[in-house]
Amino acid sequence: MQGREFFDDLRALGAVRAPRNVLEEVLDQVGLGDHFAALDTALGPVFVAWNRVGVSAVMKTGTAAEFGARFRARFGREPRLVADLPAEIGTRFDLRSVTEFERAVLLKAREIPRGEVRTYGWIAAQIGHPAAVRAVGTALRKNPVPVLIPCHRVVRSDGHIGDYALGGSEAKLMILQSEGLGRGQIAQLVRAGRSAPPSQLAANG
Amino acid sequence: MTDEESLSIRLADDLDGQFEPLVRLFQDRLYGFTLRLTGSPQDAEESTQDTFVRAYRALERYPAERRRELRLRPWLYQIALNVVRNRVRGRMPTTVSIDGTVADVLTARADERPEVVALAAERRRQVASALLTLPERYGTAVVLRHVQGLSYAEVAEVLDQPVGTAKSDVHRGLRLLRGALEPELLLEAAGSY
Repeated sequence: MQGREFFDDLRALGAVRAPRNVLEEVLDQVGLGDHFAALDTALGPVFVAWNRVGVSAVMKTGTAAEFGARFRARFGREPRLVADLPAEIGTRFDLRSVTEFERAVLLKAREIPRGEVRTYGWIAAQIGHPAAVRAVGTALRKNPVPVLIPCHRVVRSDGHIGDYALGGSEAKLMILQSEGLGRGQIAQLVRAGRSAPPSQLAANG
Repeated sequence: MTDEESLSIRLADDLDGQFEPLVRLFQDRLYGFTLRLTGSPQDAEESTQDTFVRAYRALERYPAERRRELRLRPWLYQIALNVVRNRVRGRMPTTVSIDGTVADVLTARADERPEVVALAAERRRQVASALLTLPERYGTAVVLRHVQGLSYAEVAEVLDQPVGTAKSDVHRGLRLLRGALEPELLLEAAGSY
C-alpha cells in the first residue's frame, strides 16, 4: 500500500458536508431560530421575522412560502411561520447580516421621528462620513427591517423622495403620507433644511 | 489570528449574535467526525445537533473570560465525542452503512478520469468501514489526527490524555487499520492484474 495514498484517503473521509437542517435545528433548539408572522402596515400586510437577537427581517411578499424562500436565500436560515407577533416587536434588531457602516446608517435612521424626514447627506454627516452619501443610500436599500427602522424617512436633497427597500418610491410616499406628510410638504421640508441646521429639518410641530 | 480565535473573542461578548457563525464554521467538521465514529448519517446528524446544543448551554453558563480563552476546536470535538459515546453506550452495534457518495463527490477532482474516481471511492469506502472495526480508543485517535487533521496536542486535549499516549494510540490505530485493510487490498490487487 502506498503510504501517501493511504493518508490522502483518510483525509478525504473528513471532506463531508453537514445536512442543511443541522443549523436550523440547532438554532431552533437553543431558541435562536427565526419565527415570522404577518403584520398590517400602511403598505398592506408584510411579513416580519424575529429571533432572540431581535427582529431579523421585514419583507412584502405575496405568500408566507414566498417570504420563507426569500428569507432563506438572504440569510441562509429557515424561518418558521407562527400566528402572532410578540407583543414588544420592534424594540431590538438582528443586524448581524449588515456591515458596521450599514449598521451605523440604520441606527441613525432609527432616530428620525415619525412625521419628519432627513436627507441622505444628513445621515452621512451624522455618522462621520460626510462624503459617503451614495453609500448611505445603498445601506438604506439593504435595510433588512424596513418600516421598523424607518429608512422611508430619508429622502433626496433635491426633494425627490428616492428609493425604498420595500417596493419603490410610490410605496415610500404612501408610508410617509400615512405618517402625515404629503409630497409637497416633503420637498418643502428638504428646502427648509438647506438653510437650517439638520436637527431642525422637521415637520411643523 | 485564526477565524477560530477571533470567534472565541467575539463569543465572549455576544454569545447569541456569534453562535450561528460558530455552527457554520464547525458543522461540516463535526458531522464528518461523528459520521466516521458512528458510520451512520442519521446518528451523525443527531450527534452534531446535540453537540452544538450542549455547547450553547455550556457557553451560556461560562463567564465571558472563560469563553474568550476557550480553544473552540478541541473543546467542540470533546463534546461531540462524549455525545457519541453516550449514544452508543448500552446500544448493540448496528449494521454499518457507509455513505460513500457525499465524500466522493466532494473530493473528486474534475480532471480525474471516472474510473480513477470510482476506484478511489471504493478504496475510501473500505477505509471508512475498516475504521469502524477498530477498538473505539484507537479508531477515535486515528479519526481525530488523520481524518480531521488535528495536531497531536489537540488530539491529546480532546482525549484528555498526555500527548505521548495520544501519539501511541494514533500509531497503534494506524497499524490496526492497515491490518484490517490488507485482505481487501490483496483482493483488489488480484482483480486488477
